[in-house]
Amino acid sequence: MTALLEIRDLHASVGDKPILKGISLTINPGEVHAIMGPNGSGKSTMSYVLAGRDGYEVTGGDILMNGVSMLEMEPDERARAGMFLAFQYPVELPGVGGMSFLRAAVNARHIEAGEDEVDQLGFVKLVRGKARDLGIDDAMLKRAVNVGFSGGEKKRYEILQMALLEPTMAVLDETDSGLDVDALRIVSEGVNLLRDPGRSMLVITHYQRLLDHIVPDYVHILAGGKIRKSGSKELALEVEESGYAGIDDAA
Amino acid sequence: MPASMTLPDLASATANSGVRSSALANWQATGWPGPRVESWRFTKLALLEGKTFAPAHDFADQPAGAGMDAAESIGAHVLRFVNGVVDPSDIENAPEGVNISALAADEDAMSHLRQMVPPAHPVSDLSLAVMSAGIIIDIKGRVDMPLMLSFEGDGATTSAHPVVFVRLFEGSYLQLAEWHASTAGLSAPLTGIDIAAGARLEQVKVQTDGQATTHLAATGVTLGAGASIDGFSLSTGGRLARLETHVCFAGEGADCNLSAIYMGRGEQHQDITTYMDHAVPNCTSNQIIRGVLDDRSRGVYQGRVHVAPDAQKTDGQQMARALLLSRKAEVDAKPELEIYADDVVCAHGATVGELDATQLFYLTSRGIPKDVARAMLIEAFLIDTIETISNETLAAILRPVAQAWMAEQETL
Ligand SMILES: Nc1ncnc2c1ncn2[C@@H]1O[C@H](COP(=O)(O)OP(=O)(O)O)[C@@H](O)[C@H]1O
Ligand SMILES: [Mg+2]
Repeated sequence: MTALLEIRDLHASVGDKPILKGISLTINPGEVHAIMGPNGSGKSTMSYVLAGRDGYEVTGGDILMNGVSMLEMEPDERARAGMFLAFQYPVELPGVGGMSFLRAAVNARHIEAGEDEVDQLGFVKLVRGKARDLGIDDAMLKRAVNVGFSGGEKKRYEILQMALLEPTMAVLDETDSGLDVDALRIVSEGVNLLRDPGRSMLVITHYQRLLDHIVPDYVHILAGGKIRKSGSKELALEVEESGYAGIDDAA
Repeated sequence: MPASMTLPDLASATANSGVRSSALANWQATGWPGPRVESWRFTKLALLEGKTFAPAHDFADQPAGAGMDAAESIGAHVLRFVNGVVDPSDIENAPEGVNISALAADEDAMSHLRQMVPPAHPVSDLSLAVMSAGIIIDIKGRVDMPLMLSFEGDGATTSAHPVVFVRLFEGSYLQLAEWHASTAGLSAPLTGIDIAAGARLEQVKVQTDGQATTHLAATGVTLGAGASIDGFSLSTGGRLARLETHVCFAGEGADCNLSAIYMGRGEQHQDITTYMDHAVPNCTSNQIIRGVLDDRSRGVYQGRVHVAPDAQKTDGQQMARALLLSRKAEVDAKPELEIYADDVVCAHGATVGELDATQLFYLTSRGIPKDVARAMLIEAFLIDTIETISNETLAAILRPVAQAWMAEQETL
């Protein structure tokens, strides 16, 4: 079986500063992997490198999706190939209407697949349906993208996009941060609904509590730009008790 | 009205002892502004120096341009100008409330117009003297049918000097659209807009002249007590374009919204210059200017708000923002306040920025191609300006022009 995502000895720098120092990770279809790690360990950097952000330079190793290297692909090409990143800090787009943004994203896939563009009325219905499940009201859908959204609303809006775009590889960067208990439950339910044998997820979090809701198949501990430990979901509980102090990142 | 009355020529200006001969004498004495003229410091007319243009004086029909289509889409009555010469058949059958007459025959009107238009502007003299067409449009009462002035033409050595004097009588209302799509060497429209007490004008101007055209527009606006104008210009055409507008507040309680979008690419030079003359108290002026510049294009915004000592309670706002899409694009912004009254609310600002890399990444990370993402962000940058247009009919003809410009963006 070809891995859905294979990260091979990945090294990456931001502005000449090495951040990722040799990460290897294999995610098979349908698996949910969690990455935990202290602040500044390189979790967001890894998510941006996967999504192909400018300025995040891969200096060694490779990233393969379905066996194909993504390194030469632009962010939009990666996205249309099935990659999705739920941002830790979703970006405000003043003047860009929410509905036209969502439609442009979905249409980009249709156009690439040689399909008709989405029908406007049908699309509005589809969005409203999925939004309701995530507790997103119509007023929020009509606003400019992420403008005036609370922290929790932004995170829910990320999951709405994921639900509409139906990626095969979803990277969720601290989707739990800034969420209260209820919002955490709603967002996690939204994510769990999208668990699918054909879809893999990489769930990045600083805290174990998210993993009570989105139960991972594997847990990896990232520190100092390297994966220090990998294990089953019990590893998350261990970290919760002893903290990251026990993880040796001097290596 | 006989067509010959709207087609005065230079000879008649020379023979005449009135306003036009004085304008001609002025033009002959000063010519194009040289490099040391302060108000032309950012916009040099070097490419006009030594060039000879021949003004057209007869109406020569052409296939209809985009302005005619736009007019049809909003059901406007059209006055069509080809190389500055008005189609004589269009001055007949004006809608109810609109009366069109010959400007050259009316020495008082010409003298009034001359006082309103930007002083010391080459077009104020030159186009008044040459006057490819000179018409007065008088508005009485509420005119529901929009009026479209469509300017077309061609010829690298042809110059167009249409002179239009719009007079809105007390309490009247007009929707005026102006569409420029000429490839002539020089477009030099001179416009006077006199808005009497309580009258209201909603106006848009679309400037899409050819890539080799020099477009120099001089406009003067006078506002009587309680009069208002909502004006909006979109300038994407011309090798060099300068839209200069002077507004005089002559009566209290008048309100002027004058916004503009300019867009440049290649070697284009786009200039928006305004002067708000707050001569009397209790008036408001508001300007929102947005520029988008790509390649090696240049943009200029000069906005001067003058508040006379008596003009208390003036509210004068101007906010200019420019978006540079290329490292070689440049902008000069010079908003100025000259305030001689003490009880006023005035503010100005100018910012220059680039497309936000984080916003672009967010859009492309959703699968949206980079060129589409850029167009979305440019449109977002312009949208709140277009949304200031209160008149949806007029806004409707403007949006596609901005969108067409963005659609021409090269895929990076
Ligand atoms: N744009 C950047 N420029 C310079 N350093 C950066 C940048 N982004 C992140 N870093 C550095 O990279 C390291 C990892 O950051 P990050 O990936 O955000 O960690 P995490 O998400 O695990 O908290 C930190 O030391 C941070 O200071
Ligand atoms: Mg982070």
